[in-house]
Amino acid sequence: MAVNTNSSAGKALAQASLSRKKVGNPMRKRLFRELKKDWKKYIVLFLLMTFMIGLASGIDVANDSMMAAIDESFEKYSIENGHFELRDKASDELLSKFEGAGIAVYEQFYKDLTESKKAPNETASDDKEVTVRIFKIRNEVNRACLMKGEMPAKADEIAIDNNHAYVNDIKVGDTLYIGESAFTVSGLISSSDYTTLFKNNSDFMFNAVDFDIAVMTEEGWESLPSSVFYQYAFKYNEKPATTSEQKKKADELMEKLAVLSATGGLTDDKEAAEEMSVKVQNEDPETLKLLSEHENDVNELKDFVPEYANQAIHFAPDDMGSDKALIAVLVYVFIGVLAFIFAITTSNTITNESAVIGTLRATGYTRGEILRHYMLMPVIVTLLAAAAGNILGYTFFKDVAVSLYYNSYSLVKYETLWNMKAFIITTILPLILMMIINFIVIYRKLRLSPLRFLRKDLRTSKRKKAMRLPSWSFLKRFRLRILFDNMGGYIVLFVGIAFVMLMLAFSIGLPQTLDHYKSNLDENLLSNYQYILKGYKDEAGNVISTSEESAEKYSITSLETIDGAHVGEEISVYGYEEGSRYIKVDEPLNGNEIWVSSPYQKKFRLKKGDTITLKEKYEDKSYDFVVKGVYDYDGGLCIFLPQKNFNSIFGQDADAFTGFLAQNTISDIDYEQIYSVVTIEEIMSIATQLDHSMGGTMDMVSWVCLIMAVLMMYLLTKIIIEKNATSISMVKVLGYENREINSLYILLTSIVVVVSALLTCFLAILGLSLVFRLYMRSLNGWFDVYISPMGIIKMILILVVSYAIVACFDMIRIKKIPLADALKNVE
Amino acid sequence: MGENTFLTVKDIYKSFGEGDSRQEVLRGMDFTVSKGEFCVLLGPSGSGKSTLLNIIGGIDQADDGYIAIAGDKLRDMDEKALTRYRRKHLGYVFQLYNLIPNLNVKENIEVGAYLSDKPLDIDDLLNTLGLWEHRYKLPNQLSGGQQQRTSIGRAIVKNPDILLCDEPTGALDYNTSKEILKLIEDVNQKYGNTVIMVTHNNAISDMADHTIKLRDGKVRKNIINENKISAVDLDW
Repeated sequence: MAVNTNSSAGKALAQASLSRKKVGNPMRKRLFRELKKDWKKYIVLFLLMTFMIGLASGIDVANDSMMAAIDESFEKYSIENGHFELRDKASDELLSKFEGAGIAVYEQFYKDLTESKKAPNETASDDKEVTVRIFKIRNEVNRACLMKGEMPAKADEIAIDNNHAYVNDIKVGDTLYIGESAFTVSGLISSSDYTTLFKNNSDFMFNAVDFDIAVMTEEGWESLPSSVFYQYAFKYNEKPATTSEQKKKADELMEKLAVLSATGGLTDDKEAAEEMSVKVQNEDPETLKLLSEHENDVNELKDFVPEYANQAIHFAPDDMGSDKALIAVLVYVFIGVLAFIFAITTSNTITNESAVIGTLRATGYTRGEILRHYMLMPVIVTLLAAAAGNILGYTFFKDVAVSLYYNSYSLVKYETLWNMKAFIITTILPLILMMIINFIVIYRKLRLSPLRFLRKDLRTSKRKKAMRLPSWSFLKRFRLRILFDNMGGYIVLFVGIAFVMLMLAFSIGLPQTLDHYKSNLDENLLSNYQYILKGYKDEAGNVISTSEESAEKYSITSLETIDGAHVGEEISVYGYEEGSRYIKVDEPLNGNEIWVSSPYQKKFRLKKGDTITLKEKYEDKSYDFVVKGVYDYDGGLCIFLPQKNFNSIFGQDADAFTGFLAQNTISDIDYEQIYSVVTIEEIMSIATQLDHSMGGTMDMVSWVCLIMAVLMMYLLTKIIIEKNATSISMVKVLGYENREINSLYILLTSIVVVVSALLTCFLAILGLSLVFRLYMRSLNGWFDVYISPMGIIKMILILVVSYAIVACFDMIRIKKIPLADALKNVE
Repeated sequence: MGENTFLTVKDIYKSFGEGDSRQEVLRGMDFTVSKGEFCVLLGPSGSGKSTLLNIIGGIDQADDGYIAIAGDKLRDMDEKALTRYRRKHLGYVFQLYNLIPNLNVKENIEVGAYLSDKPLDIDDLLNTLGLWEHRYKLPNQLSGGQQQRTSIGRAIVKNPDILLCDEPTGALDYNTSKEILKLIEDVNQKYGNTVIMVTHNNAISDMADHTIKLRDGKVRKNIINENKISAVDLDW
């Protein structure tokens, strides 16, 4: 049969000329079309990556800019090399002896008073008590950075801490009641030696909510009705260069200051002081005479904090450093999950295009060319996300991070700095991670021969026959086959869910942990108030007493650990009266037998019968104690022993005590005799502060988790359904209804999601406990992570609800798969 | 081996599977093809013709024997050299076209042109292939014949020494098949490429210079066609 063929072809071919032009790779033209075709998927990936990169970049930029400002502040605001506190004001003679130890000493006396926004007659009994530590304006060391307003110029003006003002909504111009008197807030300051508001260096946690730092004019300060704390800042004449040198020098200095104080400046040598002490005991007249001549110079070192060990100076930068590390880990895990999503998408595309790839390979395209082509899309999307993320990082997210930091710390003014390291960590490394994961997955896929691609035979396992399944119903077996076929996708789904669960564990677990800690503490608190007296006798030598019925004598001192989980951790030693109402140890303890508080037991993993050694903080003296039991008290790391044993161990008079435990305030003891009062607010300060710093953030994290879970599951289930589009189309052709198809694909994914949620939930809690334990080991104090059964249910529910939303989209997607797909794609 | 021999197929053996399921597909295949020859490998299903084509194309390997192109034995080439060989010397046309779905006609041809330092002029070729009007269409907007013409364009744009065609008309109707065969004939005549075409259609052997009939993995007949006819005159 003759046909009308294209008879011009031969002529045209004869005319066809050779081109000298080298043609660019036309495969690149696919990229834009691929983006356009699957824009929803790429938008979701782009947004998720942009968010993570932006967040990490914002935190890094804010962090490093602020860290630079903090580093600079040591010079700019003349931060101390350390400070110490004496029982009384040091005499000029003693001060000059101190300065002889190679330091310059600066007075920075302070007074601790109550602060309130309400007038004294308006305050309610349940109003929380805020302590404000007030200094005279310091011009030589530890100068303040004025953040807003003016420094106080009049006696009735006060400048308070910027962070405290922020969290308590106090503004310049507001009236504050300090003790009984009203003061006008003239300005807000960041004090360079209190970037983190630790009331005492040994405190478990800083507390910007209930503790404040302030400065006043000399006249205003003198008028304050409170006892003075005689604190002195010092600077070395020659500052040691390294931390170990600082420690050595600080230890030597502390010993000298302690000896000089105790001997009234007669010697700074410990052994000479001990000899002197023996002579005093032997009533050596010469020594007694010498001491009486220096009676006014004798003092006592109450506290010594070198700069390197000062939490108020170093907690913020240390914590900010760990934030950066945590966020970097989160970014890498998340980008890793996204990279696998990309790799699975590409792997499915390669499967769909296997015949084309086979043809290209057969025509001479190298594996490398095809690999580069398929890697281009993830790289482009990551680059675009990195660009957008960095722009957002330097603008929006940086401001978010800054406000989070100002919410927690009292930081000085900063300037945004370009940060190459942040760029590498948040942009280059994620890009490399994306490239490596995609390279490995795609390379493995492309390793097959061109012929295998042409035959669409891309199985990598050597299994020739399908796995035999138990004789379950057809639908169950069908589902199982789908599961095996899409194992890669389901594994990434599992990892993604684990990631979301870990974040959910943080966002739900942390507030619950704090609530649990607070309520536990409320229930088993020793007493509402712990009064510490300057001495148990008044000036006349009478034992101080009170008519307050709830008051009970007790003793307290501090020792520190020398080994175990945290060396140098402060341990409170409580001495209780026999039959105490507040400390109920229900077995008689002899000699050095003690009970330890539950946090101490947990942190240091103590057992009954263990012997622990604790030492005096500023001396070499150490004490051994035998653990006889565990006291259920979450208020701190403490040990408990009877008052008489306490006095005998610490060489005190038989009737000596430190203060009173009481349920109500004691009003009949002169404030001059009270050294300090520990309230429930102070004991709970860690929970209050963490709650404040993280409370709002945790709600936000929960929402972010929900959105991320929805987007991630949307992507993964989309990939799984797309991969199975031909099969779905085929079963439609065979007469299956959408309902039945949903029961195959959606039900299977639902089962995978629920099972993954259950498994990863416990993994996430385990992960959170581990992170929290590590975190707590570096802090003073201890408490365990707690997530209630309701919290666990909430975590699972958030995930399941997220999936329910996604499943609705999936059902629509399945409904939309045309019947023609099956017929088009079958050869 | 004759003076003009370009392709040598020497004692090729190939089997698939192991043990009881082992199946010998090629059992000592021997023949030569001259440069510029239009050679048809003719045989029924299972005769081993596609397997042989794949071995000639360097995408499959023989268990024994060798293939030599202009004296170079493929078995001596490593994977890189084989890729280079395919890149520089081979054009492939398949029964199912295997076009890239999201590239248009012109771009699909550019996929082949990209591999060559001196490709044919693509616009000229589009005219030649009768695809000029369709150059911006995607494959799913084309008929089977147009898709196969595009795939031929992709194969010949780099002006290969050998054009391997695996049942290029297997999925096409009668008229379109003849159009495609005519096109391949024209390419062979114009550029002098050696064409090796696998088919089960006896009629096509009438347009070939050289027909090798295969059955059960062996050459049953090796025929030099002295009276070949044009593709236009084929009938079946």
